[in-house]
Amino acid sequence: MTFHKRLRWSMLLVLPLLLGVRIAWAYPAAAPSSMHIMEGFLPLGWAVFWWLVALPFWIIGFIKVKKLLTEKPEQRLLLGLAGGFIFVLSALKIPSVTGSSSHPTGTGLGTILFGPFVVGILGTIALIFQALLVAHGGISTLGANAMSMAIGGPLIAYGVWRLLRGKAPSYVNVFVTAFVADLATYVITTSQLALAFPDPVSGFMGSWLTFAGIFAVTQIPLAVAEGILTVLIFNALQTSATAEMQALGLQEA
Amino acid sequence: MHIIDCYAYSNKIRAVDPAQKAGLAVIVLGLCLAFNHPVVSLLAVAWMWGLAVWQAGLPVLVFGRVLLAELFFLALATVAVALSVSLNAPANPDAWLLPVGPLWISSTPDDIFKAANLVLRALGAASAMNFLALTTPLVDLVDLLRRLRFSPILIDLMTVMYRFIFVLMESLNRMYVAQDSRLGYSSYWRGMSSAGLLGSRLFIEAFQRSQRLQTALDARGYEGGHLQVLPTTYYRSDKLLAMSAAAILSLAAAWLVL
Repeated sequence: MTFHKRLRWSMLLVLPLLLGVRIAWAYPAAAPSSMHIMEGFLPLGWAVFWWLVALPFWIIGFIKVKKLLTEKPEQRLLLGLAGGFIFVLSALKIPSVTGSSSHPTGTGLGTILFGPFVVGILGTIALIFQALLVAHGGISTLGANAMSMAIGGPLIAYGVWRLLRGKAPSYVNVFVTAFVADLATYVITTSQLALAFPDPVSGFMGSWLTFAGIFAVTQIPLAVAEGILTVLIFNALQTSATAEMQALGLQEA
Repeated sequence: MHIIDCYAYSNKIRAVDPAQKAGLAVIVLGLCLAFNHPVVSLLAVAWMWGLAVWQAGLPVLVFGRVLLAELFFLALATVAVALSVSLNAPANPDAWLLPVGPLWISSTPDDIFKAANLVLRALGAASAMNFLALTTPLVDLVDLLRRLRFSPILIDLMTVMYRFIFVLMESLNRMYVAQDSRLGYSSYWRGMSSAGLLGSRLFIEAFQRSQRLQTALDARGYEGGHLQVLPTTYYRSDKLLAMSAAAILSLAAAWLVL
């Protein structure tokens, strides 16, 4: 192949990428700043597989929520509002260095405030709502998205939170928890995509690195920014929402 | 968000039984995934777009705009499917190559076809769900889950969440405008601290709203148990049913013929 021919082909391939990035930056609503896998993007087999993987976690979460509500029926509305809060948090604008803004996932903060299993249920409902209200994510990919955003991310983040509690200053702990939650979501989604679409030349690893590289541009700065934002929110809550934090068991009376 | 919700309430087939609309959307979604054929996917987009315009009376461009947003969303991930990155030059003679430092970026006509098929499949599946989202309010879908004997606890959670998403979103926007008009987002760090403040106030608002709501329910004699709402009446549309059957049969026929 001549040099010019090669150049022409590469331009053709790079163009949609540039267009995608340009549009993603111009329209925050259409931006893949979140790691949702689109409706229909996963082949049928993988879509079903991730539904089955998520199922046990949903059942555990459901049992926990049910137990919580039998013991404290008055928490019914609090849980609903917490779910609303988690959904709306993703509409918050975090300023980013590039000049436009990105959106937090709220996974880390939700996990710290409400615990990983409750977030698993509320986050899954939020994902259904996102699929039907803002056309982000989808029903066939709900299992995969829930696994990365509502289950995997929160569980890993909760592990980090428990591990560091009492050992590190709370702002360090909050930052690391929120950062790890985003990072875990990013790594799980990347793996899900790489498993479903292994590279014909370099296999799973090659495709993993390609997906990871493409999403790193938006996801790594986002994870840092969300970490900082979560620390700021948490600090503000500790000073101005003492009663609420005590009710959730996050602050001594 | 408001666009989709507005049309969900104001379209012409809003009062049609949600089971009928959800059934159609789920079957078309399933067929797109199962057949995995570009023509079937294109046909699905055409049917869903057509039904949204002729049956639900949506403006032609609204459906297109939602679909376009989803297309951009797809763009980045699809590039990774179309391109291969490897350390060694691939052996395939059909491959287009582009060396970047020590890496080879390559692609074959096959990969491009696969990526195009993927985009079409995702668009076909997404248009089925868009049809449902644009013609059926979420409350109707939650009501459908209730009819399907879904857990009452989760249904209550969904009902409360749906209602308060809009309330909290409005608070968020009001607070954001107030901060922004006082130069709250004029620099990076100021913006960050404003966003932090906003997030914490939002949480406090959500928490206190839930307490006030609880008090209001207690005052009306609520003693736990499931939240009761008035049922909505739906009707069955034979016209939509016939069209749904035609759509599903044509998708299956397209797959059989090709």
